[in-house]
Amino acid sequence: MASAPTPGGFLARFVAWTDRLNTRLGVAVSWLTLAMVAVGAYNAVVRYLGRFTGWNLSSNAYLELQWYMFSLVFLLGAAYALLTGAHVRVDVIFSRLPERWRRRIDLWGSLLFLVPFAVFGLVMSWPAVRNSWAVLEVSSDPGGLPRYPIKSVLLVAFALLALQGLAEAARNWRRLRELKAGAEEEDLQQEGLL
Amino acid sequence: MSADLLGPLMFAVVFLFIFAGYPVAFSLGGTALIFAFIGIELGLFSWNLLYAFPERVFGVMSNGVLLAVPFFIFMGTMLEKSRLAEDLLRTIGMLFGRLRGGLALAVVVVGAMLAAATGVVGASVVAMGLISLPVMLRYDYSPMLATGVISAAGTLGQIIPPSVVLVVLADQLGISVGDLFIGSLIPGLMLAGFYAVYVTGVAIAKPAAAPALPAEERTLDGAALARQVAVVMLPPMVLILVVLGSIFAGIATPTEAGALGAVGAIALALSRGRLTMKAVKETMDATAKLTTMVIFLLIGSTAFALVFRGLYGDIWIEDLLTGLPGGKIGLLIVANLAIFILGFFIDFFEIAFIVIPLIAPAARILDVDMVWFGVMIGMNLQTSFLTPPFGFAIFYLRGVAPRRITTVEMYRGVIPFIVIQLIGLALICLYPELVTALL
Repeated sequence: MASAPTPGGFLARFVAWTDRLNTRLGVAVSWLTLAMVAVGAYNAVVRYLGRFTGWNLSSNAYLELQWYMFSLVFLLGAAYALLTGAHVRVDVIFSRLPERWRRRIDLWGSLLFLVPFAVFGLVMSWPAVRNSWAVLEVSSDPGGLPRYPIKSVLLVAFALLALQGLAEAARNWRRLRELKAGAEEEDLQQEGLL
Repeated sequence: MSADLLGPLMFAVVFLFIFAGYPVAFSLGGTALIFAFIGIELGLFSWNLLYAFPERVFGVMSNGVLLAVPFFIFMGTMLEKSRLAEDLLRTIGMLFGRLRGGLALAVVVVGAMLAAATGVVGASVVAMGLISLPVMLRYDYSPMLATGVISAAGTLGQIIPPSVVLVVLADQLGISVGDLFIGSLIPGLMLAGFYAVYVTGVAIAKPAAAPALPAEERTLDGAALARQVAVVMLPPMVLILVVLGSIFAGIATPTEAGALGAVGAIALALSRGRLTMKAVKETMDATAKLTTMVIFLLIGSTAFALVFRGLYGDIWIEDLLTGLPGGKIGLLIVANLAIFILGFFIDFFEIAFIVIPLIAPAARILDVDMVWFGVMIGMNLQTSFLTPPFGFAIFYLRGVAPRRITTVEMYRGVIPFIVIQLIGLALICLYPELVTALL
């Protein structure tokens, strides 16, 4: 990646495209938090009512829907959280470094930690997902939901995370080149702005 | 290189990377991969062990306890984004305002009530700093008292239930969330009480440090104030009491109570005409991001733990901790020191996911009461967050405090509260009944 001869068009378009994709997904899954609250509250009320009235409005499908949505939020939101800087970092030292060094840490962190980890997650999940599809795995509880779709989301999540990791690396690499090209004073001005 | 060395080395390397500032979740995951490869190359580790990873992630997805995390975050964020928290602070400030030190008392009360629902140190300290610090300074509060009480009250919410960090801590310690909530209730309220006593003491001994609000700031009086209190203060208080009460009474699980609490927070915002599209969107966005952050931290540390165990690092730590001179006491001292020092640099969630799983088995072997252990860790971390020069709470408050307050003044301001914290910590060590009495 770092050896690409021209920094311009392709990388810039790749970063913009990935940002747009993951932002849309992030905004979409944020609505699931509201849906989760609704389903969670429904489950709680129905279980409580059921105890006194004997009505059984509760079902394993609704109970499982709750954690399916929870899983979708953090699996599909992971790349969006990366993009928006929501993954916590220990910034005692980081926040005091010049921009040049912060960009370098992010560049190498993406390439050495994040992308390999996401690819690892993808590769490791593959057999489990394939087995789940092979038997069209369904919840072991009566009335439960099929498992293979939610397990497949693992693959999507790690793929999106790897993609965003590459986009972050590209973004930081381009910015580092800019910093290098820019004059020393300009560099200092940017520090002040950030 | 022998396997005995790889575990400790892995531990050292991950801290190096974490301190370099790359997001913690991926530093953990990346370090795990690097050491898995080293282990395989040296013939000390088998790749097959790693096939457990997707199963662990799947276990996180279907974990009914962690499901409570987004619910409590949603509830707290809703109260904040709809500016109900701000109203609360203003109203309680007016209620106590006529007293010397009243504003500082209001900060303690709101800190105990609200931060409970958010449980993220930064968020509550920043919110209270933005709302109450300018008012306190305008009316000539001593900057030291003002910043001290805000930092301390902001961290208080961590160990007063229902806090998100307690949910996560219970999950990691393998105890019930309800038990940990119950166990932390008395110690948490005790600390809030101590803070209030200290603030009152300052107001009596040094009236100039904590003046009463002048009449023109107390725009409401008598019946109007009473109505304001009923409208603004009672509903959130009732909401929190109902959520906690239903968990304590065993009517609802923490997850159910969290979901109902979130609905309650929406209803409160609606009833006050504050349920704007903007507030809802901001709440959903913050909930999604914060939930993702917490869970990915857990996923990263799961990968780390998998490799660390494969390299027998867990046995190394366990031997280290159970073989300490003094047995149980030795373990508690070392665990407390380690957590206290780590708390300077890393937040509650990282400690819960990285450090607790290493210490908990040793504590269980030495027969430590796990609920008490959890409360002690919470109290300890809270002290750590306040302690200069790194204390998280000070760090965050610095960001929103005016420049004319020096950082040294802030350091001096938190010292009395650190002393109070240490007294609290000593009390629960000497009288474990403070934790276990209600269980």
